[in-house]
Amino acid sequence: MREEVRNIQELLRRQAYVSDAAVATSLYLAMALGKPLLIEGPAGVGKTEIAKSLADALDARLVRLQCYEGLDATTAIYEWNYPKQLLRIKLQEHASASAAEKEAEIFSEPFLLKRPLLEAITDQTSSPVLLIDEIDRSDEEFEAFLLEILSDFQVTIPEIGPIKATHRPYVVLTSNRSRELSDALRRRCLYLWINYPSFQKELEIVRAKVPAIGEALSTEVTRMIQAVRKLNLAKTPGVAETLDWASALVVLNASQLDEEVITETAGCFLKDEADLRKFEAELSAGRLGL
Amino acid sequence: MTYQPANDWLLYNTVQFCRALRERGLLATPSEAIDAAMALGLIDLDDREETFLSLRSVLTSRPEDFPVFEELFESFWARLGRSSQPRKIVEREGLSTGARPSSRNHGQKGLAFFLEHWGAGVSRDPEPISLPGASNTESDAEKDFSLFGADELEEISRVARRIARRLARIPSRRWETARRGLRVDLRRTLRQSLKNGGEFIRLSFKRRKQKKTRLVVICDVSGSMDLYSQILLQFVYGLQNSFARVETFVFSTKLERITGHLRNNTYRHALKRLGTDVRGWSGGTLIGVSVAAFNFGWPKLVDRRAVVIILSDGWDTGEPEELGAALAELKRRAGKLIWLNPLLGSSAYQPLVRGMQAALPHIDVFASLHNLASLRALEKHLIL
Repeated sequence: MREEVRNIQELLRRQAYVSDAAVATSLYLAMALGKPLLIEGPAGVGKTEIAKSLADALDARLVRLQCYEGLDATTAIYEWNYPKQLLRIKLQEHASASAAEKEAEIFSEPFLLKRPLLEAITDQTSSPVLLIDEIDRSDEEFEAFLLEILSDFQVTIPEIGPIKATHRPYVVLTSNRSRELSDALRRRCLYLWINYPSFQKELEIVRAKVPAIGEALSTEVTRMIQAVRKLNLAKTPGVAETLDWASALVVLNASQLDEEVITETAGCFLKDEADLRKFEAELSAGRLGL
Repeated sequence: MTYQPANDWLLYNTVQFCRALRERGLLATPSEAIDAAMALGLIDLDDREETFLSLRSVLTSRPEDFPVFEELFESFWARLGRSSQPRKIVEREGLSTGARPSSRNHGQKGLAFFLEHWGAGVSRDPEPISLPGASNTESDAEKDFSLFGADELEEISRVARRIARRLARIPSRRWETARRGLRVDLRRTLRQSLKNGGEFIRLSFKRRKQKKTRLVVICDVSGSMDLYSQILLQFVYGLQNSFARVETFVFSTKLERITGHLRNNTYRHALKRLGTDVRGWSGGTLIGVSVAAFNFGWPKLVDRRAVVIILSDGWDTGEPEELGAALAELKRRAGKLIWLNPLLGSSAYQPLVRGMQAALPHIDVFASLHNLASLRALEKHLIL
């Protein structure tokens, strides 16, 4: 294994993010090749967490853009500061400047409101980590806005022209695959697929993130969650749910799992009524290896 | 960061590898090949796993690509002359070769029969099961359409009208400039005010764009399917005011466009006339050929704003490869591709038919259409 890849793995570990070779290799390549990294996988497997840990590990600023349907350029890239423009027009009403000069002035950078994407490429001090979260929630029109940033790290504003990144951000995109992303977007990114972790890895994660949990309890919790994932539920619990549950058990001072404790706290990792019923039936039938 | 240029042999193989991937449908264009070559210069080439993970990160873009990638990586690695550990073999599902089930009501009567009996009721059972008219209860919603009496089919139009009202008023999230609207378009207003020295004389407005979704319905009307085709078309035409455009095609061995015949309210009459025009034919269903004919004949009907519904049980007597290719082409252009299969309603059904197997990878929504509940469930899929 390459030294750099191991370093990344070590850096992430220090942020209590348990990674594997696939994650570390992809991150290394994304940074070395200067390409965005598209991370896909089921909900709650720690996709967003990668970007956060990367920012912490590099001691870089995290710029986050949460996507939603109808997200457009004015909320994601930039918007003109209209009140400020109006004030300036009023102040200059009797100035001798020509109309063209006035116009050029109010459509210049000081009158620009930077939204996350522009913010990320105009950082003057260092490369930030740009997290474009849940890109699948936005619509296809928005993907088009992203293409320029993702391939050339620049934003074009009609009145000003292209603004190029002073420091190239490290870009991480996440998607839950609720819809298919366009090929144009996929082609600009490196790809990483994250699945639910293995027992060993999840155990490591639980112990790293919830240190207060005992060795025995963490093993039981992880084993139970791994069994629950095999149940074919509507909402399979992710790692985030495992951690919520582990923290809840710590708060409740539980020292081991029994049916009563599990039933009381099942809401931590099952968020669907039908799933809860199914789980309880399996639990009382003793099929979950308790 | 040290970058070592890849040697010729490595470069040659990388390009070959990318070409092989591209032939198998992956997004590995020359620009990906360049990235791959650069990536190989950045990593430890003696580490098989690292090479594998790196190239996978560059050359794949969805988990469905992984099996093909793994397979071809094997030969790539072998050609580089590095030792190879055996990898796990991806299991293949057995494909069903069973015969097509016979129709529920009647044999293979096909398109002519369908058109002649359009809307004529399906209650040719000796003893139609009578049920109260307003079938809105749980059990009725679950009842299979094949058990419906003619009067109950009316309920389908009612469901369609109800859904149509809801679909009609879904505005897009995006804005467009308008003379009148809910919000002031500040950017435009300000720009215009400059002409008057910054005085707002005229305001520009913006409003929500209307969603303009097109619906294309391609119905299998071979013997076993005509009941469901009738129901779907009846349903779709109840919805037609909610869409910018509804286009309808029927097929068994060949494709027919029937949009014009269904548009006016006298479509039953029109269909009778059409029924007599249809050339005689018999035998199985050619789904792949029909979809390919649609792609070829009406390419402009389908774009990102179109929802395409195919209604069929997937019993294709043609080549599954042809169906797969035709659907892949359709999926590439359509906003959403929905496949409705009435057989999905029976719990024992597994989509193992060869045609269905070939179709599944290209479908966005694979749903059932056998009772009122499934019809209602269709509503959410119609929103793009």
